[in-house]
Amino acid sequence: MAEMAIDVAKVTKRFGGLTALDSVTLRVPRGEVYGLLGPNGSGKTTLIRALVGLVAPDAGTVNVLGRRMPDLGVLGHVGYMTQQAALYPDLSVEENVRFFAAINGGESRVREVLDFVDLWPRRASVVSTLSGGMRTRCSLACALVHGPELLLLDEPTVGVDPQLRIQLWDRFQRMADEGTSILVSSHVMDEAERCRRLGLIRFGRLLAEGSVEELKEMAHVNRLEDAFIKLSEEKAS
Amino acid sequence: MSRRRVLAVTLRLLQQFRRDRRTLALLFGAPLLILSLLGYLLRGGGSVPTMGIVNQDSGQLGQLVTTQLQQSKSVSTKLLSAGDADSGIKDGSLAGYVLFPSDFTSGAAQTHAVSPEVQLEGSQPQVSQSVLQALSQSFAALASQAPGGSAIRIQPQVTFRYGGPSLDTLDYFGAAFIGLVVFFLVFVITAVAFLRERGQGTLERLMASPLRRAEIVVGYMLGFTVLAVVQAIEVLAFSLLVLHVHNAGNIALIFLLEVLMAIAAVNLGIFLSMFARTEFQAVQFIPLVILPQVLLAGIIFPISTEPGALQVLSHVLPLTYAVNGMRDIMIKGADLGWSALQLDFAVILGFGILMILAAAATLRRRIA
Repeated sequence: MAEMAIDVAKVTKRFGGLTALDSVTLRVPRGEVYGLLGPNGSGKTTLIRALVGLVAPDAGTVNVLGRRMPDLGVLGHVGYMTQQAALYPDLSVEENVRFFAAINGGESRVREVLDFVDLWPRRASVVSTLSGGMRTRCSLACALVHGPELLLLDEPTVGVDPQLRIQLWDRFQRMADEGTSILVSSHVMDEAERCRRLGLIRFGRLLAEGSVEELKEMAHVNRLEDAFIKLSEEKAS
Repeated sequence: MSRRRVLAVTLRLLQQFRRDRRTLALLFGAPLLILSLLGYLLRGGGSVPTMGIVNQDSGQLGQLVTTQLQQSKSVSTKLLSAGDADSGIKDGSLAGYVLFPSDFTSGAAQTHAVSPEVQLEGSQPQVSQSVLQALSQSFAALASQAPGGSAIRIQPQVTFRYGGPSLDTLDYFGAAFIGLVVFFLVFVITAVAFLRERGQGTLERLMASPLRRAEIVVGYMLGFTVLAVVQAIEVLAFSLLVLHVHNAGNIALIFLLEVLMAIAAVNLGIFLSMFARTEFQAVQFIPLVILPQVLLAGIIFPISTEPGALQVLSHVLPLTYAVNGMRDIMIKGADLGWSALQLDFAVILGFGILMILAAAATLRRRIA
């Protein structure tokens, strides 16, 4: 078994004149919660899409769970939660989860995962009738149903109320404790503090990496937000 | 009502279209395309149907009628043996033929009335009409010029190989429309459904799963085929049992052809949805994909009467083969032993396979 859940080496991706990823190197050991922190348009989503093989890098290599991407076989061990709660609005909660379970291989875990996101009592509700928060939880259930070894969460708490955000992070933490590797992108500083390690990304470049304390120390500031701003300015100049 | 607010709504609408160049191109380009097509179709110096002349007459009358027919503007003629004329009708290359027997002239001289045999192919009323018109004009011109100087009554004995006077317009159009309805609706629904899959983000999720592109395409195809089969049964049952559209052929063959058309339409829908960003744009494919086919597939205007260049175009459109096949089965009672029907089935099957490959090939490119 590979030691690294994610091993990205010098990955560059351009869209026309725009460099979305600029020689990004990033390694996430198994069982770690890694936070990818950066403003909108910094390259977070492109990096996550490269991890699941939806974006082909112009240069560099992407390895996920020890396999060079793109690799369909490894995707059965990866859970991917897109920014938008990507669900079938005309299907019920349970039908959505069962569909993704059938595709990824996790039919036996439907009840378990719906309990995990507190949606079992609402399993028969049609998704189009659900609130935004419930849709987010349903989307998470779809990403988790096959018991992935690596979970990729693209801004999972955007538009989510503070109470649900805390609940979601508790769940991410529980999964990490059970050995799931998690890469989560965010532009919210307080939730970034829950990650074991953080990568600061801006203009497609990984500016700095380390624990929250290490980053604050690097920038000689007391708040993560200030560290982000200072490190961005230093690296950009 | 506030004028400012109304103008704001109007302006917003026009601004939106300014950025959607494709819609603008369609809005102003499609009418010109369709009207040009129609204009060329109707005024482009189209061809006329071909009829056979079997002249076994030992006298002059047969030759005189032949010369008159050769000058006709509503048909072109071919001199043939009786056997060749008969097979020309079966394979659809002749709209009909007239036979002048060996005693045509002598009979006319004795009785002043002759009844030459006219056999019409009969599956397309407009074409049959052209042949009958050419014959009656020729006979009228000759009635007074017969040998001996006295007037001759020429009353052809008309028989229809297929169809005939017992069939009405719905019988002819019904067969073609059964193919069209299934193709059109399945295409539109698939294209829109596939764009919804992309728009709601679930396609991205599918592409980030172990699901293969071909599995998505085949899964979609099977799902929509189930719906299309139910639709095909409904359309067929309604046409045959409620509208009583004439059917001389095997119902299972009609059904099989409908299902093949549905499969081709599903994959055409998936393939073309790759070139649209929104459901709105997908609906715009209707005038571009469906209307030219409706005009050129021989549903309304017989292909044999189209201008030569359009005939070439007609012969590459899949709907042409579906319409031909449906008419061959329902009006002519064709079975799979007929080479014409084998060609129709082969083309539609081939088109379906080509669309499956095209849909699978374009899927990843568009998601990434």
